[in-house]
Amino acid sequence: MYRSVIFLIALGGTVLGHDMTPTYPSWSMSFVPTAKQTTMKIFNKRQDVQWYQINIFDSEWNALPFVTRYKYINVPYLKHAEFDVFMSTENTTDAEYICSTSKLRGNDDFKPIVESRICSRFK
Amino acid sequence: MKKIIAVSLVILLNGCTLWKFGGVEANTNINGNVESRCTVNTDTVGYYGNPNAYTLTTLPASAGQVPIVRIDTSLANAYKAQISYPTSFSSSPSLGDTVVWTGAVAVDQTSVNDMSGYQSASTTSDGGAMRIYNLTHAGTTWFSVSSVATYGGGQQKAFPSGSYTAVVVAECIAQ
Repeated sequence: MYRSVIFLIALGGTVLGHDMTPTYPSWSMSFVPTAKQTTMKIFNKRQDVQWYQINIFDSEWNALPFVTRYKYINVPYLKHAEFDVFMSTENTTDAEYICSTSKLRGNDDFKPIVESRICSRFK
Repeated sequence: MKKIIAVSLVILLNGCTLWKFGGVEANTNINGNVESRCTVNTDTVGYYGNPNAYTLTTLPASAGQVPIVRIDTSLANAYKAQISYPTSFSSSPSLGDTVVWTGAVAVDQTSVNDMSGYQSASTTSDGGAMRIYNLTHAGTTWFSVSSVATYGGGQQKAFPSGSYTAVVVAECIAQ
């Protein structure tokens, strides 16, 4: 009976990938006097993923508060998404990494198993 | 007025002649630049084979398939790769007993010979589940991620029937 059970850890025969630029972003002045902003860009080459979560961490990988239009960004297959990130000026000195993480769906027939995460580093 | 029209016609005709005989060329440049970046790709998808009631394995000898993750970097020493094999199911039937996870992450192929030292220079974290590679060369590296899950906490109990999914995490962290 157990042989009839298929255990799937990944599907899809094409190259699936994502990248985020720039590698070394920097903060610039924003229209909010007490906040700085940076602009990032994601390119989605994963047909199995449409959503990416954005996070900012300090050097110890503690999450830091920030503001962006959406923390889960919809990036259709083979499309770019450019987004602005805002952070209070006092927190920007602690910000070390900004990361985009692919969000996987486990409740449909197509079950991706490679969670990809790209982290850029503030200089 | 006639003089102006005549001069305009002469200019127009000269322009047409130059165009016809290649005297005027329009160059359209295609510009581009390669930005420093890291791309995480899944080149080969993986799945578990089920050689006996209590084991799930990606080993091909047990009808599984080892996933291959490809990481492309366009700048040397800009990124480190962190690849983790699964240590839990992201979806599965209800499991009342312990699952023991083992696995391995290894460099499968490289695009540059100088990358051959990546595996020996790598370190581990998260109890060995995560392997960290300093990507000291620009180019492409393929990583294989094998995984074995055994049910029953050493007592070899049968996995409940159903669909199981586990997640490999592939990270590219700017240095």
